[in-house]
Amino acid sequence: MDLSPFDKDNSVSCRLASQVPDICKTEDCCLGIDEAGRGPVLGPMVYGICFCPVSKKEQLKNLKVADSKTLTEAERENLFQKLDEARNYVGWALQVLSPNTISTSMLQRTKYNLNALSHDTAIGLVQYALDCGVQLKEIYVDTVGPADKYEDKLSKLFPGISVTVRPKADSLFPIVSAASICAKVARDRVVKGWNFTEELGEVDPDYGSGYPNDPKTKAWLLKYLDPVFGYPQFVRFSWSTAQTLMDSKAVTVHWDDDEEDGEKAAQRQKNRSMLSYFNASAGGNNQNPTHQTHRFLTERRLKNLNTL
Amino acid sequence: MATKKKRAPNVQNDSWVVVAADSVIDTKSPDEDPAFVRLRNPSTDAASLYMLGSGDAQLYEVKAFDEDFHSWFVGQTVQRDGRLLFITPMDPLYLILPYLMKAGKEGKFQPVDQVVMDEEYPVCSRLLSCTRSSTSLHHIAEEKEVGSLRFHRYSEEKTMNWLKKKVERIVIALKKRNIYVGEGVKSTTYVRVKSESDCCEEDYLRYAHGLISEYISEDLSKALLKHLQLPELTSPKETEPPSKKRKLSDKPVEAGEDYTKFNSADFTRKPPKKMTAAQKSLAKVDKTGMRPMSSFFSPKAKAEKK
Repeated sequence: MDLSPFDKDNSVSCRLASQVPDICKTEDCCLGIDEAGRGPVLGPMVYGICFCPVSKKEQLKNLKVADSKTLTEAERENLFQKLDEARNYVGWALQVLSPNTISTSMLQRTKYNLNALSHDTAIGLVQYALDCGVQLKEIYVDTVGPADKYEDKLSKLFPGISVTVRPKADSLFPIVSAASICAKVARDRVVKGWNFTEELGEVDPDYGSGYPNDPKTKAWLLKYLDPVFGYPQFVRFSWSTAQTLMDSKAVTVHWDDDEEDGEKAAQRQKNRSMLSYFNASAGGNNQNPTHQTHRFLTERRLKNLNTL
Repeated sequence: MATKKKRAPNVQNDSWVVVAADSVIDTKSPDEDPAFVRLRNPSTDAASLYMLGSGDAQLYEVKAFDEDFHSWFVGQTVQRDGRLLFITPMDPLYLILPYLMKAGKEGKFQPVDQVVMDEEYPVCSRLLSCTRSSTSLHHIAEEKEVGSLRFHRYSEEKTMNWLKKKVERIVIALKKRNIYVGEGVKSTTYVRVKSESDCCEEDYLRYAHGLISEYISEDLSKALLKHLQLPELTSPKETEPPSKKRKLSDKPVEAGEDYTKFNSADFTRKPPKKMTAAQKSLAKVDKTGMRPMSSFFSPKAKAEKK
């Protein structure tokens, strides 16, 4: 697995893929989708697809690919090796969603939540397989959100392909297990060798599992909190763990789409709250209430100054 | 134009971001360093910030672009104040004018250095060293020369003509820069499909007059409006209807509406709703003399029904 395209710029989403076996272009194929790294506050989320001819399902079963969560890292690496050896009939593709992509998606003005991001990534990978000429007939997916809705969505998008969305699909269908192994192996490798673009000097590599409840991860997050910038791009800013720490330890930053209300927020924004219109002595802040600044200046947000 | 970062002592944020004309920093000797000064703003009569440069030969006004939610990254620091200061050349006559007008009430010719004096803003005497001051005083005042001494007396007629010329020049500048002066759209960032041809000359004059009113007193602004032969616009604010009160009468009080329909058991048994923090604070507000919101929605005449 060559991760160099992602390492080159780990701030974006990146696709990595194996060669498409010739047999997959002629025979009916099944495809499994799974993801790794949905929960951690650190590192990327990796989406993986794995596909093989329907006729080779048994052969895949014999590789004993199982749900990646039940395996140790060494076992996973071992199984990925086996999948790689089976490259004449098994193909895979990965979408590495960098933590920065996740942060910016979830925190942008029109919120793009993790489920939508997950769905779109999965759909993109299936489309990629189709575009490569893989003769897809069956798709198996571990669910994100309600299974029946997701199944409906995928069926409509890919007519003529039977879509099966199941919770725990990764332990039910070997092809999904295979996909989960690819995704997990890629994530492990990316996290281990994370290339920090920020000038942090020697970064303490002991960040634990990356899951919010891991004390090591929490300690690491505290250590690398910059009061102005927050965190390196390795951290998902949209995770409440990161946000809570930034709220309490970092400098407060106000954005114009912050959802704040109440008198205080209004005062801070120098806006007048509704309440001020009800007070008898309203409008005392201007030295000369009769003077109205010309719209040439107000439209351009230009103001006179009286001190620096 | 030059962007400069400057340092100032004894202010909480010690740097700011400035866009200034090159001439501001173009000084020949170190004692000619430009200086921020506080002077009486002729429009608001309060203190405003100006700058004197080139050894007081040139006056600049200081305006700030100030919008919520802005900060600067300056070099390796963050500056919380996201304002952008503009230092632009300004005609010192605008600032001298109020002093001349005040002295003009006495009707005497006086030396200007005796007129342009202000206890609150002693710096104002430096305005007279501006190159443009001495050469253009005749635009707003009559001049008399006795020997080597010059005396001035404020002239409203001259001033009006001077301001009118300024207005005309602003109109030219507005047209040249395609600045929309019509009433319709209030934002400068909209792209307008319609051509500017629907803006009549009066719109330009009014707009230019409004701009110049930022630099002169309110009285002068009104006089200038007359001089430009533009009728005064009445603000819609003043035409607000007086608040109505229900007339008292000797007739027995009758309910205007049938409230009994709300008298069912389940309606009355409902516990009073808890108020939110916002509702609570609204409830504390002084509401004397205010009509309830509902009064705006009820028909006008029905109240006097027999």
